Amino acid sequence: MSTSVKKLVTAIGASIAVMGAGHAAAEIKIGIAGPMTGPVAQYGDMQFSGARMAIEQINADGGVMGEELVGVEYDDVCDPKQAVTVANNMVNDGVRFVVGHLCSSSTQPASDIYEDEGILMITPASTSPEITQRGYEMVFRTIGLDSMQGPVAANYLISQEPERVAVIHDKQQYGEGIATAVRDTLEEGGVEVAMFEGITAGDKDFSSLVTKLRQADVDYVYYGGYHPELGLILRQARQADLDTTFMGPEGVGNKDINTIAGEAAEGLLVTLPPSFDEKEENQELVEAFEEKGEDPSGPFVLTSYTAVQLIAEGIEAAGSKDPFEVAEALREGTFETPIGTVEYDSKGDMESFEFVVYEWHSDGSKTPVN
Amino acid sequence: MAAHNLKHALFCAIITLVISYPILGFNLESEGTSIILEGAGATTILGVLLAAVIVFLFQLFRDSVMGSLRQLPAINPLANRKPMEQSKRLRLESTLLTLMIIGALIWPFLASRGAVDLATLVLIYIMLALGLNVVVGLAGLLDLGYVAFYAVGAYTFALLSQYYGVSFWFALPIGALLAALFGLVLGFPVLRLRGDYLAIVTLGFGEIIRILLNNMTSLTGGPNGIGGIPDPTLFGMEFGRRVKEEGNTSFHETFGIAYSGEHKVIFLYLIALVLAVITAVAIRRLMRMPVGRAWEALREDEIAAKSLGLSRTAVKLSAFTIGAFFAGFAGTVFASKQGFISPESFVFLESAIILAIVVLGGMGSQMGVILAAIAVTILPELAREFSEYRMLIFGAAMVLMMVWRPQGLMPMRRIHIELKRQE
Amino acid sequence: MQDLLYFIQQLINGLTIGSTYALIAIGYTMVYGIIGMINFAHGEIYMIGAYTSLIAITGLAALGIAWLPLVLIVALICAMIVSSSMGWAVERVAYRPVRGKHRLIPLISAIGMSIFLQNYVHLAQGSRNIGFPALIEGGFQFGAEDSFQTSVSYIQIMIFATTLVCMTVLSLFISRSRIGRACRAVSQDLGMANLLGIDTNRIISATFVIGAALAAVAGLLLGMYYGSIDPLFGFIAGLKAFTAAVLGGIGSIPGAMLGGLILGVAESMTSGYLSGEYKDVVSFALLILILLFKPTGLLGKPEVEKI
Repeated sequence: MSTSVKKLVTAIGASIAVMGAGHAAAEIKIGIAGPMTGPVAQYGDMQFSGARMAIEQINADGGVMGEELVGVEYDDVCDPKQAVTVANNMVNDGVRFVVGHLCSSSTQPASDIYEDEGILMITPASTSPEITQRGYEMVFRTIGLDSMQGPVAANYLISQEPERVAVIHDKQQYGEGIATAVRDTLEEGGVEVAMFEGITAGDKDFSSLVTKLRQADVDYVYYGGYHPELGLILRQARQADLDTTFMGPEGVGNKDINTIAGEAAEGLLVTLPPSFDEKEENQELVEAFEEKGEDPSGPFVLTSYTAVQLIAEGIEAAGSKDPFEVAEALREGTFETPIGTVEYDSKGDMESFEFVVYEWHSDGSKTPVN
Repeated sequence: MAAHNLKHALFCAIITLVISYPILGFNLESEGTSIILEGAGATTILGVLLAAVIVFLFQLFRDSVMGSLRQLPAINPLANRKPMEQSKRLRLESTLLTLMIIGALIWPFLASRGAVDLATLVLIYIMLALGLNVVVGLAGLLDLGYVAFYAVGAYTFALLSQYYGVSFWFALPIGALLAALFGLVLGFPVLRLRGDYLAIVTLGFGEIIRILLNNMTSLTGGPNGIGGIPDPTLFGMEFGRRVKEEGNTSFHETFGIAYSGEHKVIFLYLIALVLAVITAVAIRRLMRMPVGRAWEALREDEIAAKSLGLSRTAVKLSAFTIGAFFAGFAGTVFASKQGFISPESFVFLESAIILAIVVLGGMGSQMGVILAAIAVTILPELAREFSEYRMLIFGAAMVLMMVWRPQGLMPMRRIHIELKRQE
Repeated sequence: MQDLLYFIQQLINGLTIGSTYALIAIGYTMVYGIIGMINFAHGEIYMIGAYTSLIAITGLAALGIAWLPLVLIVALICAMIVSSSMGWAVERVAYRPVRGKHRLIPLISAIGMSIFLQNYVHLAQGSRNIGFPALIEGGFQFGAEDSFQTSVSYIQIMIFATTLVCMTVLSLFISRSRIGRACRAVSQDLGMANLLGIDTNRIISATFVIGAALAAVAGLLLGMYYGSIDPLFGFIAGLKAFTAAVLGGIGSIPGAMLGGLILGVAESMTSGYLSGEYKDVVSFALLILILLFKPTGLLGKPEVEKI
């Protein structure tokens, strides 16, 4: 109940802000776009909670160049069609800075509009390399790329000197992207990829796949995708006495995998961004989240926080509210943020984004490997 | 009678409790790594009980409630009026249509950008629904995989532009023709199937196309989709801030006006409008041509139509192909509007929504289908505050509509000639 | 030898999943046989059965009851009651008022009902995948210790056996019992059956209730076998089961069994020897092929055009 009340309050706040926009010039609108409803709404919540916190804190500290930040929230349901409508609405509403979107398939068509309209966009969650590969000026992100995460996982596997590895993915943008990067790196490293194959996301029956994996006799199985499918694969593999080590990207590193896989989740390897909420310098921020009754440990909370902070600092650095100048300032500057030191390359990707290999346990905890 | 009513009402109330209490009253929550059961709040439980009581009372006094409802004067005062004279009605309808088109032409210059963009989407759905209307409404062939042809149109443009740099205007006819070709090739073997067998086969075909698009990563980009699809140009003038294609000029520079992103949105809207009007007019003409009559004849009575010398396969194939053609049209516009397409835009639910538009509008009726397309696309946007309940309401509305007004918003009126009575 | 064991393993996987398709397909086939409509919401009834049994299992665990047969029976009964009630209510609310109208009207009503039920459970229980406890573990192993072993788990045997029992009982019920005879009469000629004093409304309701109860059985078994449930999984399974029903000849109960098994084996062989990505392509292509040569499915009665 409390979340819906909160939503209502923010919605009212946002609409008052929009209505008042004509009169008060002393504010900067930040559009926040992500799924509030639909199957991935839980990830959208992380995004909104991080961005809201940053706006609140910056305003409490006196705003940006004396002006207040105002968050305007949009729901794109992670549907490419609605994302385009949302992007057009932002243009309408005079939003010049956007934090979003969440799903790569929404971010990509929306970013075409932002680029054309001169709106600065920072996505805190979309990891598809394609988004920043089109020579756009106004597109940034505060998260690593699939093509960065894959090699980290593959290099770890190579260091274990396996003979044969199977690489499975869920035939979706995120999963297949990482899985391809893993395969390529493994092959360069001289490891035999015995199987490279897709499954259908949303499927429940993986008995054939598990049988095939048993037959293939592999040392490791890498899975590119999300936790619902991997949880089932782990469980069905265990029932069929397949004892290979599985590995996955941050999309599987979620406590929900334990409720599905149970004991079978023990020993799963996961590459994750380092837990920002466990860093010492972020403890104050973590407490602020906990005071509000929100959980800062989700993968996109602090990246969204950082996105807002970068916009604010970019405006300060450029000394202007013009998005083009802010984009320039972001490219040139170095920023200290909760997710570490951020420096951008010419494409709008961070120069470095660290991933760490963790071992997952059946009680939902994780420990860094080596 | 009262005792029987009481028993029945009690039974219905109990059923209401049984189907709602376990699902609504207990929530499966994850606590750490295990699943636990939590009782729902008092409001939910009260709601469930209230629902049961309402069902009980309704069923108990069902006869008197329904009776008094029936005695109410007709809500729709037009329902019982005499049908208008044929010629008058036709004149009225064409004036109305002209006014609508003029309104649609002026409107984007006054409305906001987001609204125009949404209106473009509405027009795409209108094209799709008009096309499906030929297959389902006129020819009576149940097609559950219509979205496949939409996908063919969209992907044709995307692939042609990616590999050969083909522009929107060349891709538009190619996309539509290719979709029509797919319709022809699929239609040929399956059209001898009847009714529901046809439905499941077309559904399967739609899924096959989507999965193939998703799996042929090297050609279609698989789940990554295809991005960077160009916008339409106006005589070689581009609408972007910078000119992307060599040899083109930019719209705002040619006319010496300031750049505005609205130009592009409005231009796309106008293209969609023109294409939707073309679709509507073309289908309207076809309906009155022999082939259109043949569709309806076959729908009404297959055997009678055959005995009059109509070729069943040829007639069905023509409907299937023409329907697919317009889906290809719509697909090309969609790809251009989005600038990025991926297989997730072409799932079965999309087919179901287009079918729902056709049926809600009134099968065979063009005006009805246009109204329904507007309603189905815009209502969810307006109901954003209830966004969590959006799909729930959509599903319930589909059921209620079928129960209360199965003929659709504006049922098709048969064009008929009244013979003079002999005095 | 090893290849043979591998083949047998994939065959077993396929037969297991095929028999569950068959269990769900009965609901489609019976409804179609009697009133000639596709009950699109049947997959959702199956999903609701799975949710109810999970709620019952979790509730019993919270009460400290862990004796397996009791847990299974209570969960099964709860699921059957809720699913059957749901089936009855759905027919009453969404199908009875539109019976006898144009063929598309009940279909749209059914699609609407399916969307409604999906979102009903989604709103009540959330969209997450929820883990389903594996109550029955272990199985038999065949083959040499150190090479590929074919394994058959107890739950697989249970699924197969349950399906066979349900099918047999249902066939006997349809051919021997009074309601069964009435069912057949209604499916042959609804109007005539009515004239002869059969309460056709009651028979149609009974069909929905039986179909829903079997779907609930499938919901419990599959929940345990696969390991997780979510509000959308009924739709996908329903689509497959419907395909199976059409493949075998819709309206025929042995046809549903046959269609389900063929579909299941085809899927698992495609995953096993080709690639999992193409299993849906193969199953739908198989359906189209079979319908091309036998337009009413494998065991369906050829339709005679009546004037």
